[in-house]
Amino acid sequence: MRWATRAGCHVDRAACAWLIRRFVDEQAEFVFVDDPVDVPADATPFDMRGAELGHHVGDCSFETMLKHFGLDDPVLWDVARIVHEADLGDDRFDAPEALGLDVITRGLSMVRGDDDVLAVTGVVFDGLYEHRRRALLLGRDPA
Amino acid sequence: MFLAYRLPREPSTPRITLWRKLRRLGAVQVSDNLVALPLDARTREQLEWLAAEVVDAGGEASIWLAEAATAAHERELASRMAESIVAEYQTLLSSVGDAVDLSEGQRRRAIARLRRELRSIRSRDFFPPPEADEARRALEDLAAAMEVAP
Repeated sequence: MRWATRAGCHVDRAACAWLIRRFVDEQAEFVFVDDPVDVPADATPFDMRGAELGHHVGDCSFETMLKHFGLDDPVLWDVARIVHEADLGDDRFDAPEALGLDVITRGLSMVRGDDDVLAVTGVVFDGLYEHRRRALLLGRDPA
Repeated sequence: MFLAYRLPREPSTPRITLWRKLRRLGAVQVSDNLVALPLDARTREQLEWLAAEVVDAGGEASIWLAEAATAAHERELASRMAESIVAEYQTLLSSVGDAVDLSEGQRRRAIARLRRELRSIRSRDFFPPPEADEARRALEDLAAAMEVAP
């Protein structure tokens, strides 16, 4: 399937793309556009204004996607807490990890194009997911 | 960058939420239903989401990349943004001053809270005034004093 999002991937978009590849559509192909009218007819838009898979009533797109696809894995929701604060910083959650994640993805998008950014952040989110998975199992942050 | 919007008079919650979020971004009001924010990739995206929220709440919103016809108007807008930021730094500076008299535990908590506040102010400070450095230094001095205290 093809998926479209805005060019210039930042944390919420990068997290959504990772979520799509890992949990929704392994064969996902991503298209980057500047304007919502440029979204190809066969592509599902996400993290764009006007898209169903976007920000809604205070949720970032990653949270919207978890709800939309019925993903109730508590580890994903713990990752969502971090993505939400990295993207919105509205103090809805306590997420000290968010500042670092925000800086890392922002910096990456300064030195790499969108495809490269998604490749790198894909690994970053794999690591983040594993860290949070172990943390939830242990009941404390893993060493 | 301008956000022109119209929200239904009732309910008032979306209006209040919008204002809280606009303030956190550092936007200033230009006139009724028109707010301005310096343009960068982050502010543009945040403003677009706010526009979408206005529409979700039954209102209308549009974003404009605008240019003032006179330099004087542009300066006036920038100085209004700068003034409100200076006021925020000054409030923070006086809180730092108050924290000196607190007990050690209270001071530690105050430092953590003030650091968060400083970070939040800096995120909407587009024209850093001298008070920005002053606030940062005052806060770090307060923290450094804790380290050496017996």
